[in-house]
Amino acid sequence: MGTTASQLAKDSLSEYQELTFLTKQEILLAHRRFTELLDRDERNHPNPRVPMEVILTLPELKSNPFKTRICQVFSTSEDKDGSLTFEDFLDLLSAFSDSATLEIKSHYAFRIFDFDDDGTLDYGDLEKLVNCLTGETEDTRLTSEEMRQLISNILDESDIDKDGTVNLSEFQHVISRSPDFVSSFKIVL
Amino acid sequence: MTIEQQRQGFAFTGSGFPTDQESLRFRWASSRMSAQIYHEPNSGTSPAQEEEQSGSEPTRELRNMVFPMALKKAVRQVQQMQAPAQFSGGSWKQKKTIFVRKFKSNVREFLYFFSLWGKTLQKIGGNFGGGVQSYFIFLRFLVVLNFVSFLLIAGFVLIPSIVFGSVDIKPEISEANVLSAQIHADCLKYDPNPQGLVVFYEFLLDLLSGTGFMEYSYMFYGYYNNTVVVTSLVGSDFSYNIPLAYLLTAVFYFAFCLICIIARMGKVARVAVTTGGSDVRSYSMIVFTGWDYGCLGSKATKLKQRNIYYRLQVDLEEERLKKHAASLTLCNKVTLYSLRVLMFFVAIGLIVATFVAIAYATTFSQENNNVQGFLGLFYTYLPSIVITTGNFLVPLLCDQIALLEKYPPSATVVVALLRAVVLRLVSLGILLYTLWNQIECHGSTDTCPCHYNHNNYQCWETSVGQEMYKLTLFDLLVSIALLVLVEFPRRMVVDHWSCKLTQWVGRQEFVVPSNVLGLVYGQTVVWTGALFCPLLPLINTVKFVILFYCKKITLFYNCRPALRTFRSTTSAFFFLAVLLFGWILALVVMIYSVAEIHPSFACGPFRSFLRMWKIVPDSLAILPKGTRDFLFFIGSQAFSVPLFAVSCVFMCYFIALASIYGKSVAILRAQLKLAGQDKQFLVKQIEKMKLLSPQDNEGKQD
Repeated sequence: MGTTASQLAKDSLSEYQELTFLTKQEILLAHRRFTELLDRDERNHPNPRVPMEVILTLPELKSNPFKTRICQVFSTSEDKDGSLTFEDFLDLLSAFSDSATLEIKSHYAFRIFDFDDDGTLDYGDLEKLVNCLTGETEDTRLTSEEMRQLISNILDESDIDKDGTVNLSEFQHVISRSPDFVSSFKIVL
Repeated sequence: MTIEQQRQGFAFTGSGFPTDQESLRFRWASSRMSAQIYHEPNSGTSPAQEEEQSGSEPTRELRNMVFPMALKKAVRQVQQMQAPAQFSGGSWKQKKTIFVRKFKSNVREFLYFFSLWGKTLQKIGGNFGGGVQSYFIFLRFLVVLNFVSFLLIAGFVLIPSIVFGSVDIKPEISEANVLSAQIHADCLKYDPNPQGLVVFYEFLLDLLSGTGFMEYSYMFYGYYNNTVVVTSLVGSDFSYNIPLAYLLTAVFYFAFCLICIIARMGKVARVAVTTGGSDVRSYSMIVFTGWDYGCLGSKATKLKQRNIYYRLQVDLEEERLKKHAASLTLCNKVTLYSLRVLMFFVAIGLIVATFVAIAYATTFSQENNNVQGFLGLFYTYLPSIVITTGNFLVPLLCDQIALLEKYPPSATVVVALLRAVVLRLVSLGILLYTLWNQIECHGSTDTCPCHYNHNNYQCWETSVGQEMYKLTLFDLLVSIALLVLVEFPRRMVVDHWSCKLTQWVGRQEFVVPSNVLGLVYGQTVVWTGALFCPLLPLINTVKFVILFYCKKITLFYNCRPALRTFRSTTSAFFFLAVLLFGWILALVVMIYSVAEIHPSFACGPFRSFLRMWKIVPDSLAILPKGTRDFLFFIGSQAFSVPLFAVSCVFMCYFIALASIYGKSVAILRAQLKLAGQDKQFLVKQIEKMKLLSPQDNEGKQD
C-alpha cells in the first residue's frame, strides 16, 4: 500500500489530463480498473504491461467483435502482441471517450479496420470487417456472392480515386456524413 | 518531359479525369471558391469547441495528435521548454462545455430509461428487423398520443362536468336561438334509462354495444349538460362554459394530433433524407459506422449483429431485383406491364365490391334497429362485421395479386399500403355517409320538425358515438380472437404435424402493412368518434396497449423472421402520411357535424343551439371590445396576406440555404478526388526523379 506505482502522482494526473480527452475522475477510475487487472508482483513494477488476454476480460471489451484489433492498435509493445501499459490504456479510453473529436475517432477507427496494417482498406480488410459486423454464426454469414456484391458496392461508393482500396481521407469522408458515429464510437468504463 | 508523356503516364487513371497539370490548377481554383462559401472544414467540432481551440491552442494540438502517449509526452516537454505553460487544467469555458455535454448525455440516458418499452423494441429489432420494429414504434407513438389526448379531454371537459354536475341547473332553451317559435314536443323526448330490471345477458349486450346503462353516462355526448357556471363569490370572477369547453377541446384535440404527427414526420423525414437521400452511400455507412461500441454482453452483441445482417441483406436483395428488372427483354416487359394493369383492375373491382356490401349492410342494420336479443346485437354489429371481413379478406387477395405483379420489395409495400388505405378509410367513409343519410331527414318542416330523424334517433350524437365505440371494440375482439383461434393453432399444427401441406403453409409471417393499416383505421375511428364519445381516447389507449402485448406475443411465439424485409426509414414516413389521411377524413366528419347538422334538442351540451359552432360567435360577443377587435383583425385579410408573404420569404431563404450546402458538398467531393490524383502525380514524379538522378551522377562522374 502506498507505493508510487499503485497511486497516481499528482503531476502525472494533470499531465494525463492535458494529453488526453479524459477528465480527472475518468483517469482515476481507469487507474483503479487497470491495477485490478495486475497480479500482486506486477503492481510494484514501474510500468507494468498487461497481456492482451487479461485486457480482454474487461466486460466493456469482452463481447466486442473488434477487441483484438483494438488492443493491437493501441499497443506500443515491440512484439506486436496487443499488450497494453497504463498509458496505452489511457490512449484507448481517450480515443473512445465522449469528448474526443471526430478526427481522432475516425483515425483510430480506420486503423482498427485495417486488419493487415498496410494503411489502406483493401478487399481482404473489408471482408474481415463485414464478417466481424455480422458475426460468423450460421444464419448471419453472408454468402460469398453477397459478400462480393457488397464489397464492390462499398468500393464504388467510397473509393474516390479508384485505386481499389479505401484510404484514410476517403474513409473520413464517409464518416463525416454520419450523424451518430461520434456517439456510437464510445467506450465508457 | 513533354506534356504528352505526362498525359500518357496517366492514361490508366481513366479518360474522364483531368490530367495532373489541370488537376492542380482546378484544385487551386476550387479551393478559392470553397473558401468563400465554407470557412473551414467542419470536422464535427461544435462552436464551443472552436472557442476552446482559439483559447488554448497548445493543449488542443497535443490531444489531437494521433501518437502514443510516450510521443505526446516528448512533444509536450519540447513545447514547455520553448514556452512556459500558461494553462493549467483547462479554462472555465472548457469546463462549462464539458459539463453541458455530460448533462445532455445524462438527460438522454435518463429519458431512454423512461421511454416506454425501449428494451422490447430493441429485442424486436434485433430478431425481426427494422420493418417490424417500425410497426411497434408507430404503435407506441399512438399509445402516447391517445393517452395525452385523454388527459386533455379529461382536464377540460370530464372533470369540470363531474365537479359541476352536482350543480343543479335545469336545461333551458334560450328562445333567441331557435328559429321556429314552437318546438315540436316530440323533439324533446329522450329517455335512455332502462326500465325495470335488467337481465344479466342484457348487461353484457349493453356493455358491448354501448346502450342501456352505458348510454346515459359520461361515456357519450348525451350525458353532458349545457351548464354555464358563473360564480359570484366575493373577489373571484370564475366562470366556466361547459359547452364552449367541449367544442374547443375537440378542436384543440385535432390540432394537437396534427402537430404531433407533423413533428414526427419532420423527424423521420430528416433521418430519411440524411441516410436515404444519400442512397449511394448506404453500404459504406452501414459497414463503417454501423457498430455500436457501447454494446455490453454477448446477447446485445448478437442482436446488433443480426440487425446489421438484416439491413445489409435487404439492400443487397433490392439491388439484385433492380438489376434483374433492368435486364428483362422487351417481350417480358410488355407481358409484365399488361399483367400489372390487369391486376390493378382486379384490385379496384374487389375494393368497389366491398364498398357496395358495406353500404348495404349499414342500411340494413339501421332499418332493423329495434330487434332485441342476440339477433339484435348481430344486426347492430353488422356494419363492423362486414368492414372487418372486407379489411381482412381483400388485403389477403391483394397480397396474392402482388406476388404476380413482381414489384421490388419497397414498391410492393407502398402499393399494398395504398390499396389497403383506400379500402379501409373509404369503407369507413361509406359507413359514416350511410349513417348520416339515416340521421338527416330531407323533408319539409312538417315531416321533419326537428331537422333530424327524431323518430329513430332521439339523441343522434350518442348513436354515432355508439357506432364508433362498437367499431373500436369489435376491432380489438377480432384481433384477440384471431390470435387465439388462428395463429396459435397454426403454429402448433405446423410444428407438430409435418406433412407437405403444413410445410407449404408454414409458420406465420408478420405482415407489417396490413397491421399498420389496422392501427390507422382504429385511430381514425377514434378521431371521428371523439366529439361524440369523449372517453374514446382512453378506451383506445387501453386497446392499443393490449394490442401491443398481443402482437408481441404472437410475433415471438408464432412468427418466423421474414424472408423478405423492407427498408424502414421511408416506410416510417409513409405510415405517418397514411395516418394523416385518416386525420383528414375525421376532420371532414367533425366539420360537417359541427357546422351543418342541427344538434339534438333532447340531450347534450348544445341542445339549445342552431348549430354546434354557434356557441363560439355567441361567446365572442361577450368578450370586451378590445379583445374582440383583435381577434377579428387576426382573422381578417389585412393580417393573413402579409403573414403569407413573410412565410414565403422565409421559405425561399431556407431553400436557398439548402441548395448552397448541397453545392459545397459537391465541390468538396470533387476536391477530394483531385487531391487523390495529385498524390499519385507526386509519387510518380518522385519515382521519375529517382530514376533521373543516378543517371545524372553517372554522367558527372564520367
